Amino acid sequence: MLKAYVTSCAIALALVLPAVAKAQTNEQLEQIRKQIQDLKESYDTRIQALEKQLKEAEEAAAKAQAAATQAQSAAGQAKQSAEAASQATGLKPPASPSAFNPALSLILMGGYYNSDQDPRTRVVTGFLGSDEYGLPNRGFDLGETEIQISANIDHLFYGQATFSIEDGTISAEEAFFQTTSIGHGFTVKGGRFFSGIGYFNSVHNHAWDFQDPALVQKAFLGDNFGLDGVQVSWIAPLSVFYVEVGGEGGKPVEFPFPDSFNNSNGFQVGTVFAHLGGDIGASSSYRFGVWGMTSENGVTDQPIPALDFTGFSNTLTGGSDNLWGLDFVYKWAPNGDPSYRNFKFVTEWMHRSLNSTLTYAPGTAQTQTGSFVASQSGWYAQAIYQFHPYWRVGLRYDQLNEGSYDLGTGLVGAPGLAPPDFTPKRWSAMVDWSPSEFSRFRVQFQQDKSQQGLTDNQVFLQYIFSLGTHGAHKF
Amino acid sequence: MKTFLSLVGLTALLTWTGPAMSAVNIFACHPEWGALANEIGGDRVSVYTATTALQDPHKIQARPSLIARARVADLVFCTGAELEVGWLPVVIGQSGNNKISVGKPGNLEAANYVPLQEVPTLLDRSLGDVHPRGNPHIQWGPQNIQLVANELTKRLDYIDPAGRAYYDSRLASFTQRWTQATKRWEQEAAPLKGIAVIEHHKELTYLFDWLGMPVVGSLEPKPGVEPTASHLTELVEQQKGNPAKLIVITTQKNPEPAEWLSGQIKIKEIALPATVGGTPGAKDLFSMYDDAISRLLAAEKPQS
Repeated sequence: MLKAYVTSCAIALALVLPAVAKAQTNEQLEQIRKQIQDLKESYDTRIQALEKQLKEAEEAAAKAQAAATQAQSAAGQAKQSAEAASQATGLKPPASPSAFNPALSLILMGGYYNSDQDPRTRVVTGFLGSDEYGLPNRGFDLGETEIQISANIDHLFYGQATFSIEDGTISAEEAFFQTTSIGHGFTVKGGRFFSGIGYFNSVHNHAWDFQDPALVQKAFLGDNFGLDGVQVSWIAPLSVFYVEVGGEGGKPVEFPFPDSFNNSNGFQVGTVFAHLGGDIGASSSYRFGVWGMTSENGVTDQPIPALDFTGFSNTLTGGSDNLWGLDFVYKWAPNGDPSYRNFKFVTEWMHRSLNSTLTYAPGTAQTQTGSFVASQSGWYAQAIYQFHPYWRVGLRYDQLNEGSYDLGTGLVGAPGLAPPDFTPKRWSAMVDWSPSEFSRFRVQFQQDKSQQGLTDNQVFLQYIFSLGTHGAHKF
Repeated sequence: MKTFLSLVGLTALLTWTGPAMSAVNIFACHPEWGALANEIGGDRVSVYTATTALQDPHKIQARPSLIARARVADLVFCTGAELEVGWLPVVIGQSGNNKISVGKPGNLEAANYVPLQEVPTLLDRSLGDVHPRGNPHIQWGPQNIQLVANELTKRLDYIDPAGRAYYDSRLASFTQRWTQATKRWEQEAAPLKGIAVIEHHKELTYLFDWLGMPVVGSLEPKPGVEPTASHLTELVEQQKGNPAKLIVITTQKNPEPAEWLSGQIKIKEIALPATVGGTPGAKDLFSMYDDAISRLLAAEKPQS
């Protein structure tokens, strides 16, 4: 461009010059021509030098650009690995002393109960008196509020407590410590905890599939049979099968003998249990369980609401309550992904042998005393089907068998001392809606034929909410 | 007495864990870590993968078979960052295995060694199922895989010192192949830069970030909440002002919401593997990336 301009200037000059040169001599003309030539050459040289400089500058700029980009990506990588290195030391440094706070969660539960029969006088014939059946009050009811706190205590132990707040009283449903570091498959648990027998016995009520426990669970173990004591469990190193055996010993919290004060140095209740579990393909998994429990009655004249003898008072002295049971749970989900659809089936069967010295109708003219063994059993089966990420339906059937009474000589001929000629039964159906893993609404219909002579149609509405950090549930 | 002796014998048989020469047992939570464990561990490890690419890792239950596998594991190799908080703590706590608890060398949380994206500034359950430490679906960032491979090798060197040379050489080979493959993918995937996508859940975030594909919408109204009719209608509206070119979900998800939206706004809908094993082509980490990129490239071509 510069060259062209200069050339055109030169041309312009060259054209103009002859007019100017009219008055000049040829020599002067030569001189001027030479000067123009020199000018042109010197401009040419300068232009070339400038162009060379420009090219070099552009190349340098390109190189600098490339170097800058490289430096940037290297810096980025250095930042990444620095971040990774800081994270490699483990957890980020805590921001405050409360970083070691335990996991804390609150469970809110409540609902509404509607029934044909008066819940305050309902019994389960031959099994549970009205105080023990524990149906909710009619109408709206807050139910139970639960607080659960858990954390690792140190390198050896983990601790957890669940407090239940209901009707102005707060009680510790569970408060226990557990070992984390013995290894070799062993875990020891101590304190107050729900027994590991059965399937639903160790499950808190906010995680149940129905609003209430199965009839046999309620009749033989209470809502959740718990003990103050020690549990030892061991898992076999089989890897392809889950095999667990365990045992517990201690003092029962409140069941089966309500006046459980026992002035005794030893165990009052002992349990053993064994589980076998595994997968079938990618979609199914199962767990079998078998268990036994024996509970001592060290109390004299212990009233036994465990057998509902309407119209007669009765007390037990000594003896024991011996139970054993089987449980089975099966879960299915397509390809093992339960997000959209899944199915769960649970069944349990329990047998009880209540073995004691019975004082029958004391204080009346008919008082009789003798050895007494009541053998009874019961079972339930429930199926839950989730057909949508938020919706589940469930069906459950309960049945109890009155069994037989084995009377010692002193009791033979006692009037009315025989198992009722009746089979308590109950059907339950429920639908629940859970828009997240933290909230659930449930409606449950129940046809309760567990009391001789009547049918009790019941409707439950229930909500369950979980706030805070709650530990994962078991299988 | 006889019964007692046979019980003792049975217990001894059951607790005997065999000679020390056995393979390192690795319990990998997800298929990407199982695949990585095989790459680095080779013949010296025996890998059990707890979940498959067709299972939502948030929804797994602590079933007996997982506890039985954790019982015999020398190393539990998972993502962490609370991805497995719904089941892994129960599995580890019930396993009776003291080598695999959090903080021990036998517990490797991959997310601790990787810079996480989308760290939330506000934590509240009203915002959906938000992960407090950031997005845990880290297997789709190639740099992340390399960082985790480096840490895995360190752990294996520690747990099985006799295999140190073997693990280190396998890491060197893996690093070389992975670096080359990463360059190749970046070249192949250059046409994908700038292509806006709608995702289902935030499980492919690292992939889209690496490939420069902006995410303009999500089928979930909030993380962990199923797509709703009203939210999908909002996405149809949004397409007018801020259009996406592709809807990208994974083969683990229910395709119905994506298919509906694809029909409404007339853009292609494709499914990528969520991880190794999610599609027939995703057999290991390398082919998982190959398969995802080739599916994206095929979808990006103009409709014929």
